[in-house]
Amino acid sequence: MASLIHCPHCGVRPKEEFSIRGDASLVRPDPEASDEAWHEYVHIRANPRGRYLEHWQHVAGCRRWLVVERDTFTHQVFSVTDGAAAARGTSR
Amino acid sequence: MTTTYISRHPLEDRLPLEPGIRAVDHLEVPRGKAIATVMAMDGEEAAVAAGLAASGDVSVRFVAPGEWLAISQSDTPEVLHRNLSLLLAEAAYIFDQSDGRVVFRLSGPNVRRILAKGVGIDLHASAFEIGTSSNVLCGHISVNLARSGENEFELIVMRSFAESLFDDLRAMGREFDLSADFAAEG
Amino acid sequence: MTAHRLASGGLVDRGASLDFKFDGRAMKGFAGDTLASALLANDQLLVGRSFKYHRPRGIVTAGPSEPNALVTIGRGASSDPNTKATVAELYSGLDARSQNRFPSLKYDIGAVNGLLSPFLGAGFYYKTFMWPAAFWEKVYEPIIRKAAGLGRAVLERDSESYEKCWAHCDLLVIGAGPTGLMAALVAGRAGLRVILADEDFRPGGSLLAETMSINGVSAQALTETSLAELRSLPNVTIMPRTTIFGWYDDNVFGAVERVQKHVAMPQAKIPVERLWRIAAKRALLASGAEERPLVFGGNDKPGVMMAGAMRTYANRFGVGAGKSVAIFTNGGAGYRAAADLAAHGMEIAVIIDSRSDAADVAPDGVRVIPSASVINTKGRQRISGVVVERSGFEETIACDAIGMSGGWNPIIHLACQRGAKAVWSPELQTFLAPDVGSGLIVAGAAAGHYTLAGCLKDGTDKAAAIAADLGFSAVAEAQPVVDGEIAPSFTALWYSPGAKAKAFVDFQNDVHVKDIGLALREGFGHVEHAKRYTTNGMATDQGKLSGINATGLLAGMQGISPASVGTTTFRPFYTPVTFGALAGTSRDEHAAPVRKSPLYGWAQKNGAVFVDSGLWYRPAWFARDGEKTWRESTDREVLSVRQNVGLCDVSTLGKIEIFGPDAAEFLNRLYCNPFLKLPVGKARYGLMLREDGMVYDDGTTSRLSPEHFFMTTTTALAGGVMSHMEYCAQVHWPDLKVRFCSSTDQWAQMAIAGPKARLVMQALVEDDISDAAFPLLAAGVVTLKGGLNARLFRISFSGELAYELAVPAGAGEAVADAIMQEGRAHGICAYGLEALNVLRIEKGHVTHAEFDGRVTPDDAGFGRMVSALKPDFIGKRLSTRFGLTAADRMQMVGLKPVEPDKHIRAGAHLLREGAKPSTLNDQGYVSSACFSPTLGHDIALAFLKSGRERYGERIVVWDKLAGAEAVAEVCTPVFVDPGNAKLNA
Repeated sequence: MASLIHCPHCGVRPKEEFSIRGDASLVRPDPEASDEAWHEYVHIRANPRGRYLEHWQHVAGCRRWLVVERDTFTHQVFSVTDGAAAARGTSR
Repeated sequence: MTTTYISRHPLEDRLPLEPGIRAVDHLEVPRGKAIATVMAMDGEEAAVAAGLAASGDVSVRFVAPGEWLAISQSDTPEVLHRNLSLLLAEAAYIFDQSDGRVVFRLSGPNVRRILAKGVGIDLHASAFEIGTSSNVLCGHISVNLARSGENEFELIVMRSFAESLFDDLRAMGREFDLSADFAAEG
Repeated sequence: MTAHRLASGGLVDRGASLDFKFDGRAMKGFAGDTLASALLANDQLLVGRSFKYHRPRGIVTAGPSEPNALVTIGRGASSDPNTKATVAELYSGLDARSQNRFPSLKYDIGAVNGLLSPFLGAGFYYKTFMWPAAFWEKVYEPIIRKAAGLGRAVLERDSESYEKCWAHCDLLVIGAGPTGLMAALVAGRAGLRVILADEDFRPGGSLLAETMSINGVSAQALTETSLAELRSLPNVTIMPRTTIFGWYDDNVFGAVERVQKHVAMPQAKIPVERLWRIAAKRALLASGAEERPLVFGGNDKPGVMMAGAMRTYANRFGVGAGKSVAIFTNGGAGYRAAADLAAHGMEIAVIIDSRSDAADVAPDGVRVIPSASVINTKGRQRISGVVVERSGFEETIACDAIGMSGGWNPIIHLACQRGAKAVWSPELQTFLAPDVGSGLIVAGAAAGHYTLAGCLKDGTDKAAAIAADLGFSAVAEAQPVVDGEIAPSFTALWYSPGAKAKAFVDFQNDVHVKDIGLALREGFGHVEHAKRYTTNGMATDQGKLSGINATGLLAGMQGISPASVGTTTFRPFYTPVTFGALAGTSRDEHAAPVRKSPLYGWAQKNGAVFVDSGLWYRPAWFARDGEKTWRESTDREVLSVRQNVGLCDVSTLGKIEIFGPDAAEFLNRLYCNPFLKLPVGKARYGLMLREDGMVYDDGTTSRLSPEHFFMTTTTALAGGVMSHMEYCAQVHWPDLKVRFCSSTDQWAQMAIAGPKARLVMQALVEDDISDAAFPLLAAGVVTLKGGLNARLFRISFSGELAYELAVPAGAGEAVADAIMQEGRAHGICAYGLEALNVLRIEKGHVTHAEFDGRVTPDDAGFGRMVSALKPDFIGKRLSTRFGLTAADRMQMVGLKPVEPDKHIRAGAHLLREGAKPSTLNDQGYVSSACFSPTLGHDIALAFLKSGRERYGERIVVWDKLAGAEAVAEVCTPVFVDPGNAKLNA
């Protein structure tokens, strides 16, 4: 019925303010990367039980893309960080 | 052919043009406010924030990191745009939203109880202080919510949603006989 | 006369008599009664018929676990089925009806099911009606549903209003009994923001029925002083009539407040129920404990009641459940009830104790039979005696009511709702709440503290610990002293042996001991299987009374510990919640917001017929006098645009202002076609792909200055494209210096299209907009005569000479009016979505009808637009993969019927002439079709295998849904002005 997400920019918000895109650990491959790399990136998704990094957008708030680290089984949220900051951290 | 194009407020069909009788809880719609989106250039976020804070008659609403709404009660959209451009030259992009946004001002002893019917965040004074602003969901509609007083909040909504938000706010305030009109300052 | 109003006592207001009706019979009660206590005061023992066997049933409890006394309250649209009489607050004019009986409660035809009971055992649904299969749906199920049932759902529109609300607190105290009251006091005094919620209309919980005194003060006086102090604290909110029904992620609790369920005429401006979401830093579960029923022969007749409920009816409501009461107990609580009933002057016929070594003291002169078992009861619709067996000897003892007490179960439902399993306590012979962390702490009887002193202390201590944990300092409380406390110990008894009649485990679902045994024998012994097989613990009470006994029986029959059997899964809701409350205000105009264009008023004035388009209302066509169908209006609008000029509202297109030194680079990576070198003052059609190479969206983007672009998207994907761009900017390319914001609502945007468009526009625009000065794809800021700044774009969706004009939204209506006025002499018309659609199909322009997610740029004829030179853009890599470049892909073509009066509909499939109509022979499909008033016959856009090589071929358009076929000629998708002479005029 309700989950609360702690947006690093806006504070604690109900999940209705967000939309979820999916796996945030994926990094867009280089345009010259192999067919396999691109196939993996575009088509293949794990569906893990447990800790998972996801991209959530705070659509009704700051509209920032966030990296939400949560447990897919318990719904416990471990961390929420800004997506751009995370992207800069992983040499994309 | 030369025409003066009269500007219409989206709630003109919903509200009497003159201020009416106010209940203790009241919804006021100010007209003619100038509003602009201010977007800091890369690395200029702090400078823009400081510049906006120092600009006297402009109220500033937080939208996102490096993005604000600047609101002026007295200036025209053109003047606000010019002033902000001068103030924040080479630090921010300014875009006029005066026609694209509608301002609602809710005041009265029950405003928190009214807003709690649509807004999920904690509006206790210790959690959402006077001067705080943020984009939030109010029912189904995203608004920028600001606390302008202990019992006074301002909501800024996209123009196309204004009638629906107005209907929602009226329904939320029905329990407290919420009254509504255009603000006297015109 | 069995049940009756006591001469004195209780917390009811004997000065305030209330008239109410039950099954049409007029009755009287008092303010402070529940419907159940008032029914008992009127000696109405029979309140319902059981689910399956239609057995007569009476009130069993005094609270929300009631399995039997389910009634329908109210009439017509505002009636509530399955309301528990035991929690329904009595009001003047209350109109209640019993359920699941025909023709009347007293004479019920369905009771014949009782005679068939050998065939209606556990699993009978699954066994009896297996064959033939079709009979299940058409015959058996309707019969079962009619015969076995609860109240009837109301089919009329609910006339009442509901709403949802958020609340936030440091501490949510669930239950305002002794534990909760003390906890709220301690936390409130310490300064925490406290919400104290209780499902009862009167806070106090068990204190309201308590006869013991605390520190020399009566329990009721303690309740009143505590509540008075709590009401005086500004940081404390007391929410009576509020059930916390669910515990959700991040310590958010769901609650339903019955705001006006207790009034005959609800005020219109206030909802009847309010659904709360309470975000609590901490919560204290002080929900108390439920008395456990005993499973014995004939235990389901009206007059058999929980002993504690009898005590509550006597002490709180001033109602005696019988004149002569037999108590069947396995612990101290039965003796406590006997003492209180005796004190009210009721006769205690006997105390039957399953234990041999009880130390409990019976009231003076009351006979106690130890080591005994109840094997049957006498009487049909009311009790006349109890049959007791001890050491092989049977004895029938006359009585008119039986109080049963089987021990206690902590009410731990909420604590188990998020997946943690209840934990068996061998000491307490019950399941306790698991440790679920600091968010939800269980206290008082809910934590197994059954003494009043223990509850008071536990509430105090745990609230003080929570306060300290949150950084508040709580004042230590003095230890309460309770006079006359009886230790409520018991020895578990899952089944009273030797039953000579059905011994019911679940009253609501008519499950008796033999059903549990059958389930076990047939391999459904797992507690979750047994529940489904027998229906034990289903329906509205979800096993609040029956669950523990089912577990105990399953354990006993297998000779294992109840710990090994476990409980069924606890899920929200704790008690049923109405759909009205769950929907809240989200109905009618509040179900979804409506977006209105700044030109809405202009469209209304011009006779627009509106259509829902996502959240927007958009003009579909503009009906003029004498036009009887949409086609008449649309055809006129199309011809008017082709011959003269028309004005269309395109304000709903997504509009985005893009700034920054890397704005061009950003767009270049976003679109599949190049944007780096777009000159200032020019617009360009752009095609966005998805990363898989399919088309995502299209639109035009104009360069207004070197570092300022203006993008339009389709109306449908305005939000999606914005999010996509934000994702690209923030996650893919965070180092690009680009900023953008939506300006959809800032601009009123209108398309002015037709051969006379320039004539009209030049009259309004200061700047020179001749073809030389403002050619196709020109874009820039212009000044309207009168001084208004606007943006003008020479772009065309219709294929005509056309402009799009954007003005600040407020001025939109005035500008549109001015254009219409100026255009009148030139035959201008307003045109809507239907005409817009016809115009673009005639010109072969695409929309999302074509871009359905399976179409590549080349499929739609845009292959040459895709840049081969750009190092990267979204979709580049996968757009070259095998399959997306295959020669036999379906390509966009035009279709025109060979016989001009034949129709083509979108969605139809394409077949080779002579091919059998089957999707196996599918050659393609029609994406868009319309009647072209310009050409005088139907035309269509379609996707056909290798279509561009097949112009001139005849193809069958097969519309199986409409049962129609037509032969069409494959042609270029551009039906009008293929040389673009009109466009470039």
